[in-house]
Formats: sequence, C-alpha cells, structure tokens
Amino acid sequence: MSTNTMVVAEKQLEKQKKHSEFFKKFKRQRPILMLLIPGVLWYIIFKYVPMLFAFNAFTDYGTRAEVSFIGLENFRQLFSSPGFWGAFRNTLIISFLNLVFYFPLPIILALLMNELIFTKLKRLVQFIVYIPHFFSWVVVGAIFTMVLAPNDGIVNQIITSLGGESIYFMADESWFRWVLVGSYMWRDVGYGTIIYIATISTIDVQLYDAATVDGAGYWQKMWYITLPSLKGTIATVLLLTVARILLIFEQVLVMYIPPVYSVSEVLTTYSYTEGILNGNIGYATAVSLFTAVISSILVIGCNKISKKFLGESII
Amino acid sequence: MKRMNSGPVGYVSVGRKIFNISNAVFLFIVSMVVLIPLLMVIVTSLSPDAVVAREEYVLIPRGITFDNYIRIFKSGYMSAFINSILVTVAATAVSMLLTVVMGYAMAQKDLIGKKFLIRFVVATMVLDAGIIPFYMVVKNLGLIDSYLALIIPAAISTYNLILMKNYISSIPTSIIEAARIDGCSELGILFKIVLPISIPIIAAITLFYAVSHWNSYLNVVIFINDSSKYTLQVLLRQLVYQSESAISSASALNNFKMAVMIMTMIPVLILYPFIQKYFISGIMLGSVKE
Repeated sequence: MSTNTMVVAEKQLEKQKKHSEFFKKFKRQRPILMLLIPGVLWYIIFKYVPMLFAFNAFTDYGTRAEVSFIGLENFRQLFSSPGFWGAFRNTLIISFLNLVFYFPLPIILALLMNELIFTKLKRLVQFIVYIPHFFSWVVVGAIFTMVLAPNDGIVNQIITSLGGESIYFMADESWFRWVLVGSYMWRDVGYGTIIYIATISTIDVQLYDAATVDGAGYWQKMWYITLPSLKGTIATVLLLTVARILLIFEQVLVMYIPPVYSVSEVLTTYSYTEGILNGNIGYATAVSLFTAVISSILVIGCNKISKKFLGESII
Repeated sequence: MKRMNSGPVGYVSVGRKIFNISNAVFLFIVSMVVLIPLLMVIVTSLSPDAVVAREEYVLIPRGITFDNYIRIFKSGYMSAFINSILVTVAATAVSMLLTVVMGYAMAQKDLIGKKFLIRFVVATMVLDAGIIPFYMVVKNLGLIDSYLALIIPAAISTYNLILMKNYISSIPTSIIEAARIDGCSELGILFKIVLPISIPIIAAITLFYAVSHWNSYLNVVIFINDSSKYTLQVLLRQLVYQSESAISSASALNNFKMAVMIMTMIPVLILYPFIQKYFISGIMLGSVKE
C-alpha cells in the first residue's frame, strides 16, 4: 500500500512538473505565440468559418425574408434538377479529359527536357514554357479567343487554306470542352514540368554512373532510375489534382459563353450562378456542400491508395 | 549533361543521334506554340487599324503605331489599370506582412502545438467550403464593394506560408538564440536578423503574391458591384467577350483589344525574368518536407 501511494505521489509530482514545464515554456514563448494571432485569426475567419456557413445548405436562405430550417429540401430539389445533373456530368467529363490528356504531359515533357543535350536550346525552352502559367485566365481566354477566332484567327486561316471549313471553336458545343483542355495545357504544362525537373535534379548522379558501368543504356536509365524517382512527386501532384478536380472554376467562368453553357456549366459555375447571380443562397450552398463532400471522399481515397501502393501517405 | 552519356566515351549511336535531334525539334515546336500567340498579341497591338481590318492574323508587323496605347491612356481602361496597380501593391504588402510574421512564428523549433498548427494550416489546402460560404463571410464582414474585399480574404496563400516557414526553419538556431539572449524582441529578431538572411525567399514570395493579386478575377467579380472599382482583368474579360456573344455588333478592333491585353500582361512580362529566376528555387525549397 505504501508503495502504491508512493507511485501515485510520484506520478502527481511528475504531472505537476510537466505542467509547470508547460507553463514555463508558454511564458517563454508568449511573444512568439502573440505573433501567431493575426495569421491564425485569418485562417479561422476565411478558411474555417466558411465551413460553418455551409449550414445554409439546410435552410431557405435567400428565397424568403425570414430564414428557416428546411432540412434536406435543397438536396431533394438538387437531385431532381436537370441543371444540377448537367453540371455534374460536365464537371466529370472535363475533369476526366484533363486527367487523361493533361496529367501525363508534364511528366513526358520533363523526361524529354532532361534528355535534351543542346544546352542553349534547353535554357530557351525552359525560359519560354513557364510564361503562360503567370497569366490570368482572362488573358489566356483572350489569347484563345484571338487564335481560334472564326475569321481572322490563325487556326481557322490554316484550316481554310487547307480546304477545310472554318470552325467557331469558342461557341461550338462539340469543340468547346477541347478548348478548355487545350487552354489548360497551354497555360500550365510548363509549370507542371518544372516540378518534375526539380525532382529529377535531386537524383544522385552516382546512380547513373553506376548504371553506366553496369552497361545500362539511355532508355534503361530513364526507365529504372529517373522514372521511379518521380514516383512520390507524381503521387503528390495526382492527389492535389484530384483534390481540385471538381473545383474547376475560374477557367470556365472566364471562357464560356451562352451557346456552350450546356457542355461546360460545371458544379462551381452552377453554384455561383444560382447563389450569387440568382440569390438562391441556400440551394447554391447545397451544391457547394455536395461538391466539397465528394471532393473529400476523392482525396481520402487517393491518399489510401497511395499508402497502399507507395507505402507512404501524402497528407 | 555528362551523366546522360553512356557507352564508350565520345561514342553516340545513330539511333541516339536521331532521338536527340527529333527531341530538340519537338521541344522547339512546343516553345513556339507558347511563344507565337504572344508575339501575335504584341504585333497586333502595334498595328494600325487598316492592317487589322483586313481580317487576317498578323505575325509580321506591317506598319507600327502606338495609337492603340494612346487610346487606352485616354479611356476608362486607364483608371482600371491604376485600380489594378493600387490593389496589387496593397494586397501584396498585407500578404507579405501576414506571411512573414506567421511563417517566422511557425518556424520555431519547439513551438507549443506546432504539429496541430501545421495540420490546421495544411488542411485548408484540401478542405474547401466552396464559393458561396466564402462569399457569405465576406458579405457579413461588410466588405462588399470595398477594396478590402480584394486585399484581406486572399491575403495568405498556404503554399507561400509553408515555403516561408521552411526557409526560416533552415536558419541556424544559434543566431536567433544569441539575439534572444541579448534581449532582442521577437519582432526585432524577425526584422533585423531573420529577414536580411531570407531575402531570396522573400523576393520569391513577393513575386508570387504580386502575380496572383494582379491576376485576380473571381474575387473582383464576386465582391465588387461598383464598376468604377473594377480592375483591368474584369474590363478585359468584358471587352473580349462582349463582342464574342454579339458577333455582329460594332465592336472594338482587334488591335485595341490586344493593346488592352498587353496592358493586362505587362507587369507579369516585366517581372517574368525575376519570377523565372526564383521559381525553380522556390519549388525546390517547397519540396523540403517536414
């Protein structure tokens, strides 16, 4: 019994010690903690409080003077609305096209740039391809409108000079999604590439030397050394891509015009139109919430898959 | 470069030579696909009306005039340009202040609740409540139609914050500890000791923020209703797409549109060599995981 009380007393002492250590640390770090306040407040107000406003999805905010709780009514309306399903479908199709046609491109480009032996050309290419990433979607949209213009655009002048018929890409339902994918590529492929190039530059040169001694050729080195070293980066980029896949927004908002709404209205633009332009806040929040939930599921799923196959989780 | 050579020194197989040349040609074409539209914008913006009215694309200048830019200086686009500059400068300053101070605090080695704090910040890169709740917050703060709505809600980029934190973490603690023992205040340490060593990352992040504030479109459209407060991005969108949705209506000629476009790109083009310089190092620093 006496040993028992001893142990208890000792534990208490330890606890007290830990407590006082914590307070000492807290006191010592107070000036630093003060510096955190503005930033943390900003995060709470602009990143976490909006999550509380997601509650509006269960109200009729915006449609009547008095806001009342209406349960799942917005979601019922949502799932029976052709506008919503159209937007959902467009989001999936455009995201899928981006994933298939855009995603592998920076990896391929990085590998090719790494193999480029003409130093001056390499520098020139590296200087040029990142430029568009720093342009706004408005500028990119304007450039594509010009290049693809039906009369005096360079693309259509080439088509007509080859005997084809001029295509009004920006207003053509069968072409507009490709315009979105193409402009996304044009703007961001260089930026995507640089991330992989940065990773490639961290590969230990000795690996290549050793492989050379063992008689490995160019392709073998690319396949067995360069590509595997990009695995982690590819997984991270894929996760970030998937996390934003349903959130494609500004590009569409800037580039679409009424004739192509039917093929390019996505969840975010739909929510924006319903909420901010039509004032139906409750319903639009329901759209946002639905998008956020599906997005989170995708991210968690992706992270699990990465854990399984790469042995490390990304987040 | 040397490491890519295999086989006996100096020997390159024919197949490899063909690959090298076609690779070079391919990458050259890729860069031209990026460059040619930009050249067209520049050349068209400098073309006289008569050339543009012929309805052909212009790649090689046929007469140079600055008329379009003079027209801009006399029009409403100029005040939008000034709005854009003022908002960008103010927003970048606020962004830097918040990011540097928070980044410095987060970089402390034994900070209380550090793990939680990092998660709290990084989680926002994936979790996103969506545009409407975000709009509601700004509206409830009474910021609609105020320039503050373009400055504060977009003030911190988590990516830049993490870059800043990682860079400061890499500064030897002994320097900071020494100053602390000398009785220097935390803000004093930050501004007198940490910032001077962190010039490269500060330059990089300032450029990133400036570009993103300059390019901001969505927030202006959502938060600003008063058209006299519009920035150049919004006016460019209107100029280009008004004529697009009403094809036949009398619209501005292409050369004027391209001149407005150049005005919308000019800060980015001027800063680009610097952005490029810091870009790679920024990403390299960012890849340092903690």
